[in-house]
Amino acid sequence: MRSVAIRFGQMLLVLWAVATLLFFLFRLMPGDPTLAYIDTTFTAEQQEALKRQFGLDRSLFEQYIAYFSNVFHGEFGTSFRSKRPVFDIIFEVLPNTLALTALSITIAYVFGVLVGAWLAWKRGSVAEALGIPLVLTLRAAPEFWLGMVLLAVFAFGLGWFPSGGANSAGMTYGSTLERMTSADFLHHLILPAATLALYLQGLPLLLMRSNMLDVLQEDYVMMARMKGLPEWRILLLHAARNALLPVVTAFALGLGASVGGNVVVETVFSWPGLGRVLVDAVAGSDYPLAQGAFMFIALILIVMNFVADLLYSVLDPRVAHG
Amino acid sequence: MSLLSVRDLAIDYATKGGSLHAVSRGTLEVGAGEVVGLVGESGCGKTTLARALTGVVPRNATFEAGEIVFEGRNLLGRPVSEWRDLLWRKISFVPQSSMNALDPVYRVGAQMDEVLRLRGGMGRAQARERTDELFRMVGLDPRRGTEYPHQFSGGMRQRAAIAMALALQPALVIADEPVTALDVIVQRQVLDTLRDLQARLGVSVLLVTHDISVVAYVCDRVVVMYAGEVVESGTARDVLETPRHPYTMGLTNAFPDLERAGGTLAPIAGGPPDLRHPPRGCRFAERCPFALARCRAETPPLVVAPNGHASACWRSDEAPALSELAKDPSTWTLTSTSAA
Amino acid sequence: MSTPAEGKRRRRFPSLMRALRLPENDPLAMIGVAIYVVFLLVALFADVLASDPLEILFLDDGNLAANVPPSLAFPLGTTNLGRDIYSQLIVGTRAAFVVGLTAAIAVVAVGTLVGLLAGYFGGWVDNVLMRLADIALGIPFLPFVIVLAAFLGAQTQNVVLAITVLLWPNTARVIRSQVLTLRERGFVEAARVAGSSDWRIIRVHIAPNILPLSLLYGSIAIGWAILTEASISFLGFGPSGSVSWGAMLQDAYASQALSRGSYNWFVPPGLCIVLVVVAGFFISRGYEEVLFPKLKD
Repeated sequence: MRSVAIRFGQMLLVLWAVATLLFFLFRLMPGDPTLAYIDTTFTAEQQEALKRQFGLDRSLFEQYIAYFSNVFHGEFGTSFRSKRPVFDIIFEVLPNTLALTALSITIAYVFGVLVGAWLAWKRGSVAEALGIPLVLTLRAAPEFWLGMVLLAVFAFGLGWFPSGGANSAGMTYGSTLERMTSADFLHHLILPAATLALYLQGLPLLLMRSNMLDVLQEDYVMMARMKGLPEWRILLLHAARNALLPVVTAFALGLGASVGGNVVVETVFSWPGLGRVLVDAVAGSDYPLAQGAFMFIALILIVMNFVADLLYSVLDPRVAHG
Repeated sequence: MSLLSVRDLAIDYATKGGSLHAVSRGTLEVGAGEVVGLVGESGCGKTTLARALTGVVPRNATFEAGEIVFEGRNLLGRPVSEWRDLLWRKISFVPQSSMNALDPVYRVGAQMDEVLRLRGGMGRAQARERTDELFRMVGLDPRRGTEYPHQFSGGMRQRAAIAMALALQPALVIADEPVTALDVIVQRQVLDTLRDLQARLGVSVLLVTHDISVVAYVCDRVVVMYAGEVVESGTARDVLETPRHPYTMGLTNAFPDLERAGGTLAPIAGGPPDLRHPPRGCRFAERCPFALARCRAETPPLVVAPNGHASACWRSDEAPALSELAKDPSTWTLTSTSAA
Repeated sequence: MSTPAEGKRRRRFPSLMRALRLPENDPLAMIGVAIYVVFLLVALFADVLASDPLEILFLDDGNLAANVPPSLAFPLGTTNLGRDIYSQLIVGTRAAFVVGLTAAIAVVAVGTLVGLLAGYFGGWVDNVLMRLADIALGIPFLPFVIVLAAFLGAQTQNVVLAITVLLWPNTARVIRSQVLTLRERGFVEAARVAGSSDWRIIRVHIAPNILPLSLLYGSIAIGWAILTEASISFLGFGPSGSVSWGAMLQDAYASQALSRGSYNWFVPPGLCIVLVVVAGFFISRGYEEVLFPKLKD
């Protein structure tokens, strides 16, 4: 319990540090951040009023305090561009990003774990000799390029899938849930999810394989054989169960990192998600929106890093019952 | 008829540098209710031989020759399923370090349960009862079955491993250096438990060890291996008190006596030969202070004396005289300089 | 007879030699080296191999040579603005190597230094440095690089800076744990008892033993840096007017090369990235086998 409290404290420290970094980072922005917002027709007084509204007339220290107070209250300001609250925009696209991430990472890890375990079992075979370089090659491919190739072949070439977006134009739905469970949404989801899954599967696959190779050397696997236990039981309940520990941690870490890392895939497929919102906001100097999106991505990443630590101690009795 | 009889067993390991002949002439017998010690330096093939009796060998190991006759059946040459059927029900194993032999992610009790139910065909309640009984038998508190292996001390883990080996009342327990990883006091306690249970249950034990004092303490008979070959075997008393092979003479010198303190320590100089390219003739000749020209040319056969005391040495007949010489440490130092 | 000090000094050489020797027994690693050599040569002789990648070309009939399919004159065809794709590909090799190598060197230098200090001195130094590593790992990678590139300007050095700021902790953590084990070894203890200074112990006894690990992480970092640079360029935050594989892909994407099926435009740059990055993976695996040989049974 004590170690959990320490880890939690460290997480808070990291959250504070990243938020602070973010604050200063966005003050590095070239020029006056309100310029993009302020119309040339605005009077000087209107401009001053706007600067006051965004707190830009106060000292850096006051701005810093105000920034944290806003973050605590979930108040991220208003988008320069759309004039809508940043919070609303983020919550509108968050489900899309989570759906894409959850689906692709689940496929990647289920596939990676199974194939990784199988390759470890088949060590020294032709399957291994060809499989490893292939996996490494897929891992070396830029996600956005994989996405471009899939788009060119399956969307533009064969016309099997739509070329972008999360829903066809003109469709209306009663609720977010209804929209996200519609066949149209799933149809749009397949290509980006496949791209991400292709990119993500390498890590769990290689990790699982190398863990399995280690675990298969362990005495308890030899003992399980000597006990005459069925082969499937040795493989799944003894070898794979132990080899899976670090993979589960990697899954939690990957989930956190992928939310921010989706940036390029969301751009390629015009997927209305958090990453694309960030890219558009940065490109359009929409600094409240960029800051809010960044903050959310960082929050998910940091919380998942913490969850990964916790998961490990839950799954490994050597840590949990130290 | 003995319970287990191994004849001229040969096991090779495929390595990068070619075939390694880990066991070449493995010959031993274990009678019902007997404790047989299998001794030799590390790397002499004793562990390979012992593990091979379960049929569970590393991927690169192959049985090249010989037979393993258990309860009248030669296990080599029978389908693997038949061998596997015997495992744990008839033949069980106590590993060297039970830290790694118990699966770290399952409770110790659950691991007992697994073997009792899957291999022993017991029901849930029966298995639980038997687990408690086994724990008490080896001197463990049954309540600790809910703990994980890393929460046990080394001695407790070894006791748990012994309990697990006895779970299905096997005929033969193979114990591979069961106490080597423990400190001396705990060694004695675990050996006492093992010997006591062996006598009570009438189970046979093949005890692999490099420690002559452990052999002297618990074994009825001894088999001595050197460089993959059995060089001497007989009753513990015969082999330890009137050794017939110079290697055994050197080995008994190298260990302090558990009973009589103050024995001279004279380790055998040099190291065992490269088993990828074993030398011609007697494999011990290189390090033997008594080696003759013949020893380097012809392999001595394992000759069994009428009292059952077997040895593979061309000079076995001179054993009593050589044994006297071997007690003088300078005999062994001389070889080391001449060998160098 | 050698003095103990000499013996100790000699001990660092095997690992140094081991580190610098390529894992020549590993076919994959050798493929990786071959790929590197080829691309390095291409980068060096890009001027000879290619013409001006930004020159707008015209056909013999005077028309703009836009979207020309691959031919003898244009081995990979041309872009929609009439630029030679082959020349862009060749010249883009330079950008990849400049970013890849400088970022890898920076990442490994920072990571190794931090790992050394944290592992060797321990205590509060270790605590502070490792918390810094936690913070760096709490920053979302691509978003940070995008923001930094957008705010500081899209020059190559800012991309390298962003990559360095975020990638050093991985190297530092591994180096630190290696230093922790080295510190407990007899020869380091002996040197300390003999009165060697901390700096001398680090330089003579510890640094040579962790160099192989640094190289291992360096060969991985090259790949990540190239991938990151490509992603940034693709998103439009790369150095403007420069020729790189990422910029080529962005150009192709923005110019409807996908819907037009101009595979000759967007496939080659992607393949080049894959080849260079996978070469780093192959080499690092080879090093891994040398450094942490798994029991071959």
